[in-house]
Amino acid sequence: MNPFASTVSLNMQGQYNTPNTHKYSVILPTYNERKNLPIIIWLLAKVFEEHQLAWEVIVVDDASPDGTQEVAIELARVYGEDKILLKPRAGKLGLGTAYIHGLDFCTGDFVIIMDADFSHHPKFIPQFIRLQQAHNLDIVTGTRYRSTSTPYLAEAQPGGVHGWDLKRKLVSRGANFLAATVLNPGVSDLTGSFRLYRLPVLRHIITLTQSKGYVFQMEMMVRARALGYTVGEVPITFVDRIFGESKLGADEVVGYAKGVWQLFKSV
Amino acid sequence: MTRLHRVSIYSSILISIYLLVLFEVLPIPLVDASVAQDILPVVPWWLLVSFGSYSLWSLGWGVFTFRDCPDAYHELLQEINEAKNDLRSRAVTVD
Repeated sequence: MNPFASTVSLNMQGQYNTPNTHKYSVILPTYNERKNLPIIIWLLAKVFEEHQLAWEVIVVDDASPDGTQEVAIELARVYGEDKILLKPRAGKLGLGTAYIHGLDFCTGDFVIIMDADFSHHPKFIPQFIRLQQAHNLDIVTGTRYRSTSTPYLAEAQPGGVHGWDLKRKLVSRGANFLAATVLNPGVSDLTGSFRLYRLPVLRHIITLTQSKGYVFQMEMMVRARALGYTVGEVPITFVDRIFGESKLGADEVVGYAKGVWQLFKSV
Repeated sequence: MTRLHRVSIYSSILISIYLLVLFEVLPIPLVDASVAQDILPVVPWWLLVSFGSYSLWSLGWGVFTFRDCPDAYHELLQEINEAKNDLRSRAVTVD
């Protein structure tokens, strides 16, 4: 189909003085994010409007008891029903299925996945987009461990983390080292979940992934590399647990090791 | 072929070559036989220790160069305030 005759392109002509006629969908899985949701959407809207990009946010709420869905409806009233889509689900069904559910309603050609708890800042999205366009990448992922992007992007700032003590940093580096040695994924941050995907690529990978939790994010990246999709990285700053404490128990460590072994066996 | 398969095949090939050389079934071309017999039994331990030291160095270097970003935190707090004020004026419930 003629890309200049697509709905997105026709709607944007004459409205935005921009060379970018792609539409970017953000899938936000939420559970009890009543306080964070309005602010994260405000930040997203600000970034997208500043850079004159067509956007939408798909809020996949797993029946939050605290009123997240009501706030989402209010935000849809403020920003437009076409921009904020609330697609709730009956119960807490997990992250992977949340993405699959959200993908059914995507009208964009790129999908951004991120956390709704301010650990991922929308200000990095334009850098993701610029890197993707410059090198025609299939996936761009945010990395907390690097200071420069791969491939090169002039406006990339060094990545980092706020709110992690020495022990947490050691565990994080250890986990990453284990995954990198065993799986050789070619990305520096394997468990990161701030990513930009081309829509068909995400659809393809998500049908193949079987794990749950943060191993799910690792599996998507490892499978993408195994299938030959091109991946770039942009350094991001990660502000962890702006409210509340982070807990990392022994169970999680064992679960992580098991997850890495599963991936080693199956990909 | 999965990664496990690939790694298993490569390591079986390398281990069998190593064992053949160790038990003097295959000769090593450029090295004296007695020197080879001194070095070969220690090679696996050498590999293990090298990998261990590399891992330790990698972990230490990684933790040493792990960047903190306090500016991002303060910037974020300010933006959260700004967002709350703006949204309140547009009749969205924030807290």
